[in-house]
Amino acid sequence: MIRVLSVLLLLFTYAQHASAYLDPGTGSMVLQGIIAALAVIGFTIKSYWYKIRGFFGKGGSSSLLEEEDEDAQRTE
Amino acid sequence: MEPLSSSFRDPSGFMFSHQGCIYRQVNNSFSATYDNFMHSGLYNRLVDRGLLISHEEVVDGSARGTVEAYRIIKPLQIPFISYPYEWSFSQLKDAAMLTLKIQYEALKYGFVLKDASAYNVQFLNSKPVFIDTLSFARYTPGKPWVAYKQFCQHFLAPLALMAYTDVALSKLLITHIDGVPLSLASKLLPVKTRLNYSLMSHIHLHSKIQQQHADDAGDSKKTTTKNTRLSEQGLKALLESLAKTVQRLSWKMPRTEWGDYYEKTNYSDLASEQKRALVDNFLRGIPDTLEIIQDFGANTGEFSCIAAKHGALVISQDIDPVAVELNYRRNSTDGPTNILPLIQDFSAPSPGIGWGNAERASFLERSRCDALLVLALIHHLAISNNVPLQHIATLFAGMTDWIIIEFVPKSDSQVKRLLATRDDIFTRYTKEGFEHAFSGRFSIEQSAPVPDSERTLYLMKARSAPSTAT
Repeated sequence: MIRVLSVLLLLFTYAQHASAYLDPGTGSMVLQGIIAALAVIGFTIKSYWYKIRGFFGKGGSSSLLEEEDEDAQRTE
Repeated sequence: MEPLSSSFRDPSGFMFSHQGCIYRQVNNSFSATYDNFMHSGLYNRLVDRGLLISHEEVVDGSARGTVEAYRIIKPLQIPFISYPYEWSFSQLKDAAMLTLKIQYEALKYGFVLKDASAYNVQFLNSKPVFIDTLSFARYTPGKPWVAYKQFCQHFLAPLALMAYTDVALSKLLITHIDGVPLSLASKLLPVKTRLNYSLMSHIHLHSKIQQQHADDAGDSKKTTTKNTRLSEQGLKALLESLAKTVQRLSWKMPRTEWGDYYEKTNYSDLASEQKRALVDNFLRGIPDTLEIIQDFGANTGEFSCIAAKHGALVISQDIDPVAVELNYRRNSTDGPTNILPLIQDFSAPSPGIGWGNAERASFLERSRCDALLVLALIHHLAISNNVPLQHIATLFAGMTDWIIIEFVPKSDSQVKRLLATRDDIFTRYTKEGFEHAFSGRFSIEQSAPVPDSERTLYLMKARSAPSTAT
């Protein structure tokens, strides 16, 4: 049973890499986890902060990558 | 069916040329993902937003691939290919933001980019566009972004180096075909960048952590790193962080000798206006259709703008990054949009690099054009760079059918400046010598003195050009 599961797990792991021909770099993957975790914490704090501001009638921050803001960035 | 020498790494498919057009083969192994991508709505979304190149599927058998072909697609043809080491700061920055926007959008549809190479981007109508239609893979929740490192090397590192160390460092992309190594970037960036949270994370820390884990692959005990999880929210946060980092990078343009060129030239207003009229007339007088016009030594593109009225596309090249940057900024906001500014040193232009020295084509292989503008440049090639006029004529004759070229004589104040600190060994650099050297390769159709100056403008036709029917 364990053998079947571990083979399946291996297959699953390697299947993930089938179409990705790049070497992602082990260190790079580790770092992503760290940066993302910190960023998510920061984002959560910020969104609570903006919720409070919103309560007082002030606008919120906008994402650089969301489409609605594309025109705004172009004029910067 | 000739596979392109740049397209071989991705097992999902490859690009080939056939009867003068470029096609992409989608391999059977990629069929499910491709169909998914096309039907998910992501393809349409990206094309509608002008981010991804559109394509048609070839159903009439006009182009065939190999036995592994699932589909043959024909993308919108890009008339001129340029490379990241030829781009100005803002061009590279816009290409970086494009890549991030696409990755962010792709996530909404359950896809990720398999790679984040700067070579996935080309410029069309003064805007960057993503050309690698097969770069999309299904997103597996929890899996980190496989292209993060490549993004940092291809985009973030060179942009940071251009902003903080020296703008010329984008040329490192010539010697490092897979982007600037983070360890190198980390060493070259000034210490103050370590105080910048984003640069500290994505470059300095990234470089250290890479070195730390370099041997992990061979160590069976370190399986934890392979199982690093990254939630979708985390990936979005990572993308936002990268976007903020890129957006905040700005290059303070130094005052180069070329930046205020048009204010410091020796042209009077009359001469400028007359020269513009002359160039305009010469271009109008060319009987052939002008698909591509090359403007060598274009500076901020003043004459490229005139050429843009006469040709479908103008490649506006100059050695000065400041001039090219100003040219690009103006085009992307005010137009004309059929100009592509690029950085190029004509005495040592882009070489062919990569596998077999053929993966990324040299400047020469891409310089074929219908008309060539060589204004206020000849003295830099012949005198500053000691290139004999005959050599210059030969090179140009191999590229173009028509040339509009300005001869700048020794009596001109600019040439006097060039000769001020050196021996004048240029005995054959005279108007007669110039006409003699060029007559070997070109026939002089028209010539006119530029009023209020010592210079002469010529319209010449290459002798090797097919004769125009009269």
